[in-house]
Amino acid sequence: MRSPRRYSAKASRGNGRGRRWLLPLFLLSPALVLLLGIVAYPIARAIWLSFHRLEILRPDLSQYVGLDNYRALLQDSVMRIALQNSAVWVAGVVLFQLLGGLVGALILNQRFPGRAVVRGLALIPWATPSVLVALMWTWMLDGNYGLINDLLVKVGILSRFQPWLAQPWSALPAVILADVWQGIPFFAVMLLAALQAIPEDLFEAARIDGASPWRVFRHVTLPLLLPTILITTMLRMIWTANYMDLIMIMTGGGPGYSSLTIPLHAYYTAYKRLDFGYGSTIAIVQVAILAGAIVFYLRQLRRNEVMVQ
Amino acid sequence: MMRLRRLQTVVVCVLALGLVLMTGSAMESLHAQSPTVVRYWLWLDDPTEPMFDQLVKEFNATHSGVRVEYQLVPLSEYHDKLVTALAAGSGPDAGRFKDWWLGEFVKPNALEPLANSISKWSGRGDVIENLWETGKITAAGPVYMMPHQFITFYLYYRKDWFSQAGLKPPATFEEFLTAAKKLTDPAKNQYGFGLRGGAGGQDQWLAFMVAGGARLVDAQGKIIVNNADGVKANQWYIDLFRVHKVAPPSAPTDAYAQVLGAFQSDNTAMFAHHVGSSVLVTQKLGAANVGVISIPAADPKKPATMATMAGNVVFAASKQKEAAFTFISWLSETAPMDKWSGSRQGQLPVLKSVAKLPRYTENIFFKVSLDGANYAIAWPPLPGVGYVSAQAWQANMQRALLGQISSKDMLDEIAKALQR
Amino acid sequence: MSRRPLRRLFVAVKLWLPLGAWLTFVLAPYAWMFITSIKPPEELYTKSVRYWPSQPTLEGYRLLVETTPFLTYMRNSGIVATSTCIIALAVAMAAAYCFSRLSFRGKGVLLFGFLITQLFPSVLLVLPLFLIMRSLGILNTPPALILAHSTFAVPFSTWMLTGFFNAIPRELDEAATIDGCSRLQTFRYVLLPLSAPGVAAALTYIFIYSWNEFIYALTFTADLRARTLPVGLQTFMGEFIIRWDLLTAGGVITALPIVFFFMLVQRQLIAGLTAGAVKG
Repeated sequence: MRSPRRYSAKASRGNGRGRRWLLPLFLLSPALVLLLGIVAYPIARAIWLSFHRLEILRPDLSQYVGLDNYRALLQDSVMRIALQNSAVWVAGVVLFQLLGGLVGALILNQRFPGRAVVRGLALIPWATPSVLVALMWTWMLDGNYGLINDLLVKVGILSRFQPWLAQPWSALPAVILADVWQGIPFFAVMLLAALQAIPEDLFEAARIDGASPWRVFRHVTLPLLLPTILITTMLRMIWTANYMDLIMIMTGGGPGYSSLTIPLHAYYTAYKRLDFGYGSTIAIVQVAILAGAIVFYLRQLRRNEVMVQ
Repeated sequence: MMRLRRLQTVVVCVLALGLVLMTGSAMESLHAQSPTVVRYWLWLDDPTEPMFDQLVKEFNATHSGVRVEYQLVPLSEYHDKLVTALAAGSGPDAGRFKDWWLGEFVKPNALEPLANSISKWSGRGDVIENLWETGKITAAGPVYMMPHQFITFYLYYRKDWFSQAGLKPPATFEEFLTAAKKLTDPAKNQYGFGLRGGAGGQDQWLAFMVAGGARLVDAQGKIIVNNADGVKANQWYIDLFRVHKVAPPSAPTDAYAQVLGAFQSDNTAMFAHHVGSSVLVTQKLGAANVGVISIPAADPKKPATMATMAGNVVFAASKQKEAAFTFISWLSETAPMDKWSGSRQGQLPVLKSVAKLPRYTENIFFKVSLDGANYAIAWPPLPGVGYVSAQAWQANMQRALLGQISSKDMLDEIAKALQR
Repeated sequence: MSRRPLRRLFVAVKLWLPLGAWLTFVLAPYAWMFITSIKPPEELYTKSVRYWPSQPTLEGYRLLVETTPFLTYMRNSGIVATSTCIIALAVAMAAAYCFSRLSFRGKGVLLFGFLITQLFPSVLLVLPLFLIMRSLGILNTPPALILAHSTFAVPFSTWMLTGFFNAIPRELDEAATIDGCSRLQTFRYVLLPLSAPGVAAALTYIFIYSWNEFIYALTFTADLRARTLPVGLQTFMGEFIIRWDLLTAGGVITALPIVFFFMLVQRQLIAGLTAGAVKG
């Protein structure tokens, strides 16, 4: 072990300015290399593409069109529908994943026999490959032979089988249900980890004071979980905004455009209409919206001194 | 002494030279022997079947100068992965291909015209004549895609239900509607026709459209899908769901798994598909209960159905075009063709010699399909067909089925999308 | 003496009922997938829903292992996911320590910058990434996927770990320093153990993300040398033939390694790990 004197001597040397950035740079460099090296180019290219009109298989024929793609976007009625759907999608998915995950974390935090196994099992939705999540939920929701309809009719809630994925008002909610199922374990694990950081004695103290479980939750657990909740929710919103696998397989954005979200619209435009310029434009507009939302969010976090100390 | 040493030097030099020359020529012949590698992409319906692997091994064994290396890509991702690879300059030399994509790949000159190679190919006389058209952009232009396996659409129906209800298999639109109505009973969750409004349903829609007298393009190649005939035929199709309610409520988003599943679980009395599913359908329901008939026509004097071709192409960026063509033309020769068509991956053979085999003539599903080939119409080779078949048809068909847009609106959108 | 039954009722309401309900919801679709995987083909589509096959069969599993390269896919997935875990975690920990314990200009901007990469849909980044992988010469090898996956796992892991490091009071660092520890030792003996839950959570996230990632796996691999499970499963869906037996059996098995992985890792998620840390 280094002698304490040497350490404090170094700290008080006042070379601070010159040496201060050395350690951060060293520690951050792997991450920065990865991000700048691997991702910066694709992002720059996507931005560049949005100012061009091109035939993807003939890059030599690409034309600079300035803001034309963006102007077209403003008039795109499908984009407006996609924006709405994306908002509903993100809000619905993240809210219910959070609630379900919170309940799960609270349950899995308690001590009971077989907890290790139950915790393992709890991960199954998140562990199942997306293609199978989509196919199984499509099958269960089927309007002719699906088991959800079967059960609901048997129990008496429904009188007839409903074609959940074929009705404009129920298609997106049905896919939201599938994604909520898939994502609950994510929140459960993150919140469970955060719960461990809450000192036992706080719970003890509250119990001794005679607080009911609800009050303990509201005044001890929740405030201390809040930072993790806020950060995880923000990240989950970003991913959900870009997650289109389930929608693509379950409804293809349909019926009509009722479950079409922005990334799906961008994908169809780029790969099916073979218009990569406009497809990139759509994606970038979403990036801008998300970036704006994050900046606002981060300001709130900073105000609560959550992340940056 | 000196002379001997000089002699030794000379001998050593000569030997060395000889060695160098020998090595050089050995390397040369080695180079000449190392085979040209042809990279080939395809999708397969059932990847557990060794048929294609065996075919490639056979080809590699019998063609010493060429070696084929293949990559299996799931069909749902095939088009996208191909676009990415070609755009990056890392595409395959040859690949399996769908006629849906012909227009959009030929426009940027991504496919190699095969006219010259075909004229030198010995097997060209054996291909069913009019199938060459599926690989062309214009009637007079070159062939871009070698025909390999095609399908024509027909109609499956429940023989047992039909005979119980005293109905005969429908030959006209009228008979079709009557039968469908009679066999629809929502209380029992039973419907007459499994209309497919979801992914991939554009092919059967086209079958009914052309059977109803509509056409996508006229003889000059001009888009006419949204003319009066088109609107009428389309309206008839939409009315099956909206007005007569002979299709299940899930029809707008039903894709292949759902229409097949519904037919197999006794939910629908009829559904349109092709020979690729005949084994599955009869396996579940039994051959006695499943009947097959050509797509009914609005006017029995003018029958029509839809055909689509899966062929093979050579990519323009390939550096091994000749070797690539050798492989894909070999796939369309009699023995490999028979092996492919007879396997689980099989569809209709494009060769006259193979189509004559009893295996196909004696199978009712193949027979009805091949009969339909006489008047089948394929998607026109427009650049927008890929987009229409991947998304534009689906979104607009669903909106029309739900009453959000009219039949004319839907066809206008499709006409627009076809032009891309 | 009426305390005991009351207590039992209390526990039932607080634990067993919610646990049962929550677990049922969480497991039902997976159970359906399992049931489908043991149904013979004739029983897949029946007029009335069959909840349990009359003749359950393990044929799907046998065919999966014997006639498809499923085990190879699993091996590749294992290599990629494990390597990604190691690399991404190491990079993220270094970055998180930096963001949490060091102060320098532009910290906030950099943290925000880490997020930018996540804002783009992967489909639009596929083509340029393909070009990068090709120029690095690693196409169709595990390193291509390890690199791509690490790049996308690092930002989230960094954010997570930064949050967990922030929750550990600096007084502990200072105490360790006074005791004579270097930065590295402080990290190793103070920060790391106390943030074990966070590390466990980050590891879980990275592993699952990498294990189930599809679009890059599809684009950067060509054959069995590097193909992973998600792509392999997709090949069981053909144009007209859907091998439900292979698909569902594959789906059932694919989820299991993660379940076992988490059963090991969740040991770190024990309350009281940080309790009393400040007092002591």
